[in-house]
Amino acid sequence: MSLSPLIRKILLVDLVKGLKVTFKYQPPSEAVTEQYPLERPVIYERYRGQPRLKVDPESGHSMCIVCNLCALACPEQLIVVKGERNPVTKRKEPVSWSYDLSRCMFCGLCAEACSTGALELSQDYEMALYSREGMVLDQAALERGPEPVQYVK
Amino acid sequence: MSDFENDYRHAKPGQSGPGIVDYLDLETKDQTYLDATELVLNMGPQHPSTHGVLRVILKLDGEKVLGTECVIGYLHRGVEKIAENRTYAMFNPYVDRMDYVAAVSNGLGYCEAVEKLLNAEAPPRAQYIRVILTELCRIASHQVWLGTHALDIGALTPLFYCFRDREEILKIFEKYCGARLTTHAFRIGGCIYEAYDGFEQDCLKFCEHFLPKLNEYEELLTTNRIWVRRTKGVGILKPEDCIALGVTGPVLRASGVKWDLRKAQPYEAYKNFEFEIPTGVNGDTYDRYLVRIEEMRQSVRIIRQAVEGLPTGPIMAKIPKVLKPPVGEIYHSIEAPKGELGYFIVSDGSTQPYRVRVRPPSFVNLQALDKMVRGLLVADVVAVIGTLDIVLGEVDR
Amino acid sequence: MLDAITNYLHSNATPGEAGSMLWATIYILIIVIGISLAVIAMNWLERKILAHMQIRLGPMRVGPHGLLQPFADALKLLIKEDIIPENADKLVFWSAPVVVTMTAFTTFLVVPFGREHAVTDMNIGILFMLGVSSLGVLGIIMAGWSSNSHYPLMGSLRSSAQMVSYEIAMGLAIVCAVLMTSLQTGTGTLSMIGIVEAQAQQQTWFIFKMFPLGFLAFAIFAIAMVAETNRAPFDLPEAESELVAGFHTEYSGFRWSLFFLAEYAAMLAVSSIAVTLWLGGWMRPFPNWLNGGAWGLAFSFFPALTLFVLAGLCLLGAVRMPKIPQMKIQTAGLTMFGLLLGFIGLVLLAPGVRERVQDIYWFVVKVAFFMYLYIWYRGTFPRYRFDQLMKVGWKVLLPTGLGVLIATALWGLMPQISSSVARGLGVLP
Repeated sequence: MSLSPLIRKILLVDLVKGLKVTFKYQPPSEAVTEQYPLERPVIYERYRGQPRLKVDPESGHSMCIVCNLCALACPEQLIVVKGERNPVTKRKEPVSWSYDLSRCMFCGLCAEACSTGALELSQDYEMALYSREGMVLDQAALERGPEPVQYVK
Repeated sequence: MSDFENDYRHAKPGQSGPGIVDYLDLETKDQTYLDATELVLNMGPQHPSTHGVLRVILKLDGEKVLGTECVIGYLHRGVEKIAENRTYAMFNPYVDRMDYVAAVSNGLGYCEAVEKLLNAEAPPRAQYIRVILTELCRIASHQVWLGTHALDIGALTPLFYCFRDREEILKIFEKYCGARLTTHAFRIGGCIYEAYDGFEQDCLKFCEHFLPKLNEYEELLTTNRIWVRRTKGVGILKPEDCIALGVTGPVLRASGVKWDLRKAQPYEAYKNFEFEIPTGVNGDTYDRYLVRIEEMRQSVRIIRQAVEGLPTGPIMAKIPKVLKPPVGEIYHSIEAPKGELGYFIVSDGSTQPYRVRVRPPSFVNLQALDKMVRGLLVADVVAVIGTLDIVLGEVDR
Repeated sequence: MLDAITNYLHSNATPGEAGSMLWATIYILIIVIGISLAVIAMNWLERKILAHMQIRLGPMRVGPHGLLQPFADALKLLIKEDIIPENADKLVFWSAPVVVTMTAFTTFLVVPFGREHAVTDMNIGILFMLGVSSLGVLGIIMAGWSSNSHYPLMGSLRSSAQMVSYEIAMGLAIVCAVLMTSLQTGTGTLSMIGIVEAQAQQQTWFIFKMFPLGFLAFAIFAIAMVAETNRAPFDLPEAESELVAGFHTEYSGFRWSLFFLAEYAAMLAVSSIAVTLWLGGWMRPFPNWLNGGAWGLAFSFFPALTLFVLAGLCLLGAVRMPKIPQMKIQTAGLTMFGLLLGFIGLVLLAPGVRERVQDIYWFVVKVAFFMYLYIWYRGTFPRYRFDQLMKVGWKVLLPTGLGVLIATALWGLMPQISSSVARGLGVLP
């Protein structure tokens, strides 16, 4: 073996190089930990989180016109919408909505298919519950959104 | 008989002897440790190093491995059966869940296969966006591989460094399509999401920030004598065996076979980019490590070229809303980070495919485990499983 | 009775030399408490430093910046269910952790924290330490055997094979250092205090003596001591990602914490050997180059300075805590801890205390440096495979150790050899 690699081998140069790398990252400013729940992550606009039904801000009615496209688009067929025609406004209004969050895979096909933009996947991600009953969302729950319990330390 | 044939002597019933692994007999009576000749050890489905729920039954002679048997299926979810009951567009989200580490490539393969069936092609801008995201996904997948492989061999820190870089990529994914892991980024016919404001800057910033980090990982591991001793000469796979077993991906390239689907059967916009295919020499674990590190560098090169040359235009081809591909079948494969990911789709003219068969690279690569591990020590089995880069979601589907 | 107490204080000797049982007991209690405190601190330091090297934060919630984490861990281990495997050999199972812990603690009998701050100064001090720490291997074999399961047995056999092989390299390196003690006076010594005094007499730390031989001996010992204590990169027997989970698999709760305690105490013990033999023990840096009253005074402020720096860090951390009501208790706790450290620093400023604390302080700082090295190695290096580990021990360290030993002996005998050669040739009368 020629001289230079031999000296590098004896003086453990390769091990020292590794030690330098780990030494460099020690200052706490290099740590990338986000201390949840004290620091919340930044959620971007297109995030596919909790589904929400939008309500028209002026009239207060739901924007859903019960076209059933979302139910047809869903791969898991977990949306069941029933509506009836309102004789006054000549629009269909939802009577019952059922969205099974436990089977949802947040693929976004329903929101893509929605013709009025009423159904959207919002940026909420804190959907944990203690039991399965709350996982089937009805229209009120969809319009309200999730209300996660904030724990005080 | 060739060497390959010799090693795979299948025992006839009642036959036994040294070197013959009778797969039916591996699970018979309980052998105590006092019997020094052979020990059957179960590296069970729950194990920190099997990268998922893989069960490996090892037949040991002291510390040397005589033979292995892999038991898989713990993560089987019937994805191919599900495909028979979903329309083509509906099946897209399921595909991400197979190789969950690199979900974007799965989506790419499927969308391309269906587009081929429809004789459609995504517009150039969509192709460039697809290439950028797929190469980012390749880097992300190799980062997971590097971190977990180093962790199995004992180096604790590269895992965290790699996941920090992967975090940047996942942020780009989230900004683009709304999800970090199961991205559902592409649609049949192109992309549905337009590149967000700042997409190009984010990608270039990532490339700039990533290359020096890659050099640091190399400083930590590549010349480190302990790393070299643990990985050089371990798990050698000869090129003839690779081809005979159907192994693809970095494992094949590290054995010396220069075969990469991005160059051999170019798809998407890969013919417009200049990049190299790293190949190894010996086919051992160290070479596979070097090949994957170099692949990450080449991916950065591709991303830079793609971002600079991103054309304008539409991002979705004109395909009907209700997809009814003509009767026929197609096999289309792409170079996923783990190897050749292939989709074989049989269409009977209706909106739902008749059969979708996925050729997962990890499943085929896992068959090489037995060949690579004979004669090695138990501690090397973990290194070899790590170097094959398997994801059980893909193996079991 | 009072005479017995004060008599000892006036004599400048260790309790062993002075023959005072009472003070020996007091010193032993102080050492046991000290080691336990050191292990607690090491636990926290290891988790925090390793975490920062891995660009994460480590424990942050349990106390302010995780300072109460070791206590929480200790409490958890104490209240855990005591599980004994069904067909385990109960007596051996019970006594294995006791053996390992006792040998680790007994080695501290001769560790010199200062000129008169050892429990006793045996004239075979270093030999005693080596011998007693070898007994720890017996405890490990007992642990693996009595668990009645082949994973712990394999792990313990591997672990003990590793420890025994590296003890040889350690022994050779130690002999090199002991040889160097005889250079000036003509008679060497095995006593720990004697070795440090030899370094003081010869006015160099042995690591710099006979360059590069002293440094090589130190390097061999530094590598062998990491392997001796089963720490990274030689920690295959207790690694989690290997098949064999280690000799302490079947131990839970308090029994496991005894093994943990013994491992850290063994780390401290071998670091103390390294510090005593090569790094000048309790001597402050540059006692000869920067000698004189003024320098001595300046160096004597270091203990107080260190504590002030630590107190400053605590108070800085307290100031930087998020200002939300949930964190009030933590901020208050951290501030009080910082003030406590500052108060101890002030106490250490007092002239009477300054001299007495000097030796102990420098010894502790040097041992702490080795502890940091242990953590640094764990964060950086991958693990050696077992056969490669044994190869390093037998094929690299042992021949190098023998070579260094022979070279040291020849170098030390050089004056005599050259003078007798000269006399033989007729050059000298």
